[in-house]
Amino acid sequence: MSPVAFRLDGEALSIAVPAETRLSEILRDRCLRTATKVACGIGRCGACTVMMNGEAVNACLVMAWQIEGAEIVSPEGLDAFGTARIVKAALIAENAFQCGYCAPGIVMALTALFLSHRQAGEAEILSALEGNLCRCTGYHSILRGALAAANRLRDGAAGETGDPHDANPSSL
Amino acid sequence: MAPLSFDVLHPASVREARDMLQGDARLVAGGTALQLEWARGLPRPARLIDLGRIPGLKGITEDAGGLRIGALSPLARLADSARVAQHLPLLQAAARSVAGPAVRNLATLGGNIAGRTGCLLPALLALDAVLEMTGRDGHFREPLSDWLARPADPTEVLKAVHLPVPDAQSRWTQRKIGLRAAFTPSVIGIAGRLACRDGTIVSARLAVGGGLVVPCRLSAIERQLVGQEVAGVDWPALRTALIAAIDAPDDAFRSARYRRMVAANALVRGLQDAGGARAAERPPGRSAQADTPATPPEIRLSRSEQASRWHVRPDMDPKVSGMLSYLTDRREAGMLVGRILRAGRPHARILSIDTRAAEALPGVAVVVTHRDIGGENAFGIVVQDQPAFCFDRVRHAGDPVAAVAAVDAATAEAALALIRVDYEDLPIVTDPEEALSDTAPAIHAGGNLQRILHFSRGDVAAGFAAAAHVVERRYETSRQMHGFMETEGGFARVEPDGTLAVFVGGQHGARDRLQLARILGRAEDTIRVVTSPTGGAFGGKDELTVQPALALLAITSGRPVRLQLSRAESVAAGIKRHPMIIRMRTASDAAGRLIAQEVDLLADAGAYASLGPGVLETALEHVAGPYVIPHVSTRGRLAYTNNGVCGAFRGFGANQMTYAIECQMDALADLCGLTPVEIRRRNLRAKGSPGFLGQTVAPSERLTDMLEAAAASPLWDGRADDDGDGDGDDDGEEMIGTGMALNYQGNGLGSLVPDPAGGRLRLRADGRIEAAYGLDEMGQGLLASIQAAVSAELGCARDDILPVIGDTALAPDSGSTSASRGGHVVWRAARLAGPDFSARLTDAAAGLLGRPADGLKLAPGGIADRRSNSGRLLLRFCDLAEALAPDARPSVTVAFDFPKTDHTAGNARYIFAFGACIVRVAVSRVTGMVRVLDIHQHTAAGPVLDVAAYLGQMEGGAIQGLGFTLTEHARMADGAYLTANLDTYMLPGIRDTARRLSVFALEGLDDGDGLGPRGAGELGIGAITPAIANAVGRAIGHTPLSLPFCPEALLDAIGARP
Repeated sequence: MSPVAFRLDGEALSIAVPAETRLSEILRDRCLRTATKVACGIGRCGACTVMMNGEAVNACLVMAWQIEGAEIVSPEGLDAFGTARIVKAALIAENAFQCGYCAPGIVMALTALFLSHRQAGEAEILSALEGNLCRCTGYHSILRGALAAANRLRDGAAGETGDPHDANPSSL
Repeated sequence: MAPLSFDVLHPASVREARDMLQGDARLVAGGTALQLEWARGLPRPARLIDLGRIPGLKGITEDAGGLRIGALSPLARLADSARVAQHLPLLQAAARSVAGPAVRNLATLGGNIAGRTGCLLPALLALDAVLEMTGRDGHFREPLSDWLARPADPTEVLKAVHLPVPDAQSRWTQRKIGLRAAFTPSVIGIAGRLACRDGTIVSARLAVGGGLVVPCRLSAIERQLVGQEVAGVDWPALRTALIAAIDAPDDAFRSARYRRMVAANALVRGLQDAGGARAAERPPGRSAQADTPATPPEIRLSRSEQASRWHVRPDMDPKVSGMLSYLTDRREAGMLVGRILRAGRPHARILSIDTRAAEALPGVAVVVTHRDIGGENAFGIVVQDQPAFCFDRVRHAGDPVAAVAAVDAATAEAALALIRVDYEDLPIVTDPEEALSDTAPAIHAGGNLQRILHFSRGDVAAGFAAAAHVVERRYETSRQMHGFMETEGGFARVEPDGTLAVFVGGQHGARDRLQLARILGRAEDTIRVVTSPTGGAFGGKDELTVQPALALLAITSGRPVRLQLSRAESVAAGIKRHPMIIRMRTASDAAGRLIAQEVDLLADAGAYASLGPGVLETALEHVAGPYVIPHVSTRGRLAYTNNGVCGAFRGFGANQMTYAIECQMDALADLCGLTPVEIRRRNLRAKGSPGFLGQTVAPSERLTDMLEAAAASPLWDGRADDDGDGDGDDDGEEMIGTGMALNYQGNGLGSLVPDPAGGRLRLRADGRIEAAYGLDEMGQGLLASIQAAVSAELGCARDDILPVIGDTALAPDSGSTSASRGGHVVWRAARLAGPDFSARLTDAAAGLLGRPADGLKLAPGGIADRRSNSGRLLLRFCDLAEALAPDARPSVTVAFDFPKTDHTAGNARYIFAFGACIVRVAVSRVTGMVRVLDIHQHTAAGPVLDVAAYLGQMEGGAIQGLGFTLTEHARMADGAYLTANLDTYMLPGIRDTARRLSVFALEGLDDGDGLGPRGAGELGIGAITPAIANAVGRAIGHTPLSLPFCPEALLDAIGARP
């Protein structure tokens, strides 16, 4: 068991865990960041989606040895991104979720999409959410919220996000 | 098993990596396949060799012959690279079909190739990929097709893939056929490429692979094509030759024959049509809808059209931000982690259980078994036939035998492996029909017939004798999994005062407490049960789940314990929807009027009854749907088997039966030459007439309104598809059809079952009005509904109301959150408690203000002058609360029974909700798979308490019904689930949802109807399956009679058309 050093939501951490420990477990059980949910544990539902080095990944598929030196953003850290705040506000206004268990993963997937592709529209949103399962809503409310966020981002909310080039949050 | 730790090596070069490849070592790139493999029980290596830090293995570059793609390039780069898009669109299309986007950010090209089952292989074969490798003797290049044709050499390391750029004029096709629209295991994948010069084929590549299909080129057929004129290709003959040439296996999900057919279909259609690319994806789920306006008094439910009634739910912000703490999220110092030992075999006698080695493992606090149970080791909502921990026998593979609490999960799992249970296996029975034969092994002492129910009316034989038309069919429904995202779990502890507190997501805390008290042998008032919030339930958390194990672990250890089932354990142990076989024989006269019906229903209970008897009864209450049939005879049987346990699931048997009767109606319509609407019009029950069982039913029936709304639907003639995208037109690949079904769903538990309810309103010290209900927020919008109903009754603001729910210590018993009863209970309790509570508040305010109470009213934020509409407050609620002594703050508790009918000869419903569902589908001639283009749901469930919650119930119910119909099936073989997780159990994804979805509500009630809102929870799912089935019937002339629809059967039906 050797320590793994990484950054979580802008904070440098070093944690001693067995190499095979999954990032989802590290977040939930070691860092007590339980907004990352686990619903399948094999990368097939998206509930545990986090950003690793700016890209959405399934935290249940990422093992401790893979996060050495990585920049991890968990749902708890998303408010550092103006883009994420816009995504969340749009989903909230639309009452996009029901039980809410899939919500943090979907917010993460959409944020990662808009950070890398600010002009993303319906086609890109559908592609970006192919890996996130929701059992309650049938997806239409989520799609309506995501489209509202896309319109807001396209309509010049660029200045509002405070995410220059949106690769990294300025506050980190 | 505890995970065995491995070493991870980080070579700096490919050569170094190759040299490390000795003994029990494995190369790893993205590592995305590892958890899947380990979950399937494949061994973990002692050493992982991480290729990720070797320079030069990533990136896409152009070289003389084409593109060189580093083996460590993530699949996401293939999917989004401009170079790949420009030169190798075939590869880009294929990359986008692999897994999901987050997985593609990790998974690599090399990993997809090295496993030899990757979904990219057909595309790479069609593109003449050449591998750049390092082996024993240094670097070399080898065509992919050659490499695949020889055994893998474990000492080789893949460095890059070279892909020549094909002639831009060549036509190509690519498709992955799966179990659902996207993020699916591969059934079979194809890729094809024809290079032509002056109309003559100069080279051909045809390849198949993916999943179980051995990746290979179809070389003999390729050779036949070369030299042919592309305009002269005999495509039907090519298809026949391809079917013969493709080698593919069967599995539990799709046959070899289906794989060969769809691969051949896809190659032929793709290459025949393709000037260039076949569109890789179609956009379902369009929100830019061609909106169908509502016809008043119906309203269309949407945020924009009901803006004044649109409220953000109080739990929405914490859910979206992830700050909402679910009961499985609790982490605290000193908390133990629990794990449950499952039988893992479907039927056996327990000879002995030895827990000593587990108890001796350092870090283990306690191990509990049946020996620790102080009360009755039996539970079940209807029949107490299920042991909390098995003691003499196990009856299904998910049966619990022991549980462990330890300092962490790894230790608890290690301890499970040390518990020794000796079994003597018993013969199993997994088919419900066989289970009822005389020779079947008895699963319970009373035999395998858990329940049999009969009902008859009139003279069925005479009815059939007089019939002009008879439709007799056998319908079969699948074992649907609830698939709530939050699996069963929570935590438990013993409080300092000795109270046992159990925090586990559920649907009726008071009943969970009763069942726990029985098991533990302690008084109910020494137990507190908290059941909310929970991440989805749908009936699947109605019965006890992990509560007995958690309670015993907490009591025995004296420490707080948390426990959550993994998905695989949830699949194995959790309840499912009852698979049913419904034989239905229905007769009409020549004019289409129903005369007689015979129904024989057989349901698989699995190993224990749970709510099965109620489900059986509800199914049988819905055999006639909303229609009048004079002569009826029904029989229903519920059989124990060694399969997983079945129980409550949204619809509760009614939706299975609605599938049957609504498909019968369309079949009879065809025989009588009537439209689907007209035959229903001729048979609809009259308002105010007795219900199916002869019972009195509630007023405000809206069936005619629903049927006429369906009749007027633009979906019948395609008018809704006016967005101009052409999607949904019959383009040659897909056949389009529209179908309908009516929905008639009983609410409540029925006339014979005690169905008490209640609630409490109380002014809190902080001035908020607490609305306490023993109901649960499972996602349906209970909190919003409570705020809506109570604020409307009192005249205050939604924010003045603080819902307090799902906690036996804080809220009165309101009954179960099931059977579409919650909405009515919320409204009724507010209605009953409201006037008294208001009066007490105004009385108290009157004393403080020195004004007469009858001149005061409740208003948003406080007390106002009754005559004033200014919104000006005379006294804020918080000031009122502060001025009153704690015992002087008003509190009103009410208790009542859910409305019932007086029928006692059987369990009959009083209140019903109504709906009509119209669906337009597209059936693929290539794959036999169904896409749902449009769903229109017309609903009548009384006043809509909260627009967003109601809309969510209808939309969510619709797509859960879509999954039940098209993709979901928890397949079992020999008592074990074949669908162990969400990689093979196909919940609908965003690509599977209906492309457009419209929900309408008809809210009004009859004059004098004091019953208020009806249930919305089950209305959304009820009619979806038959509407889709009838739409498929209209599209291809064949109505599927078993769920989920079998694409192979649909292809055969299409092929058999004249």
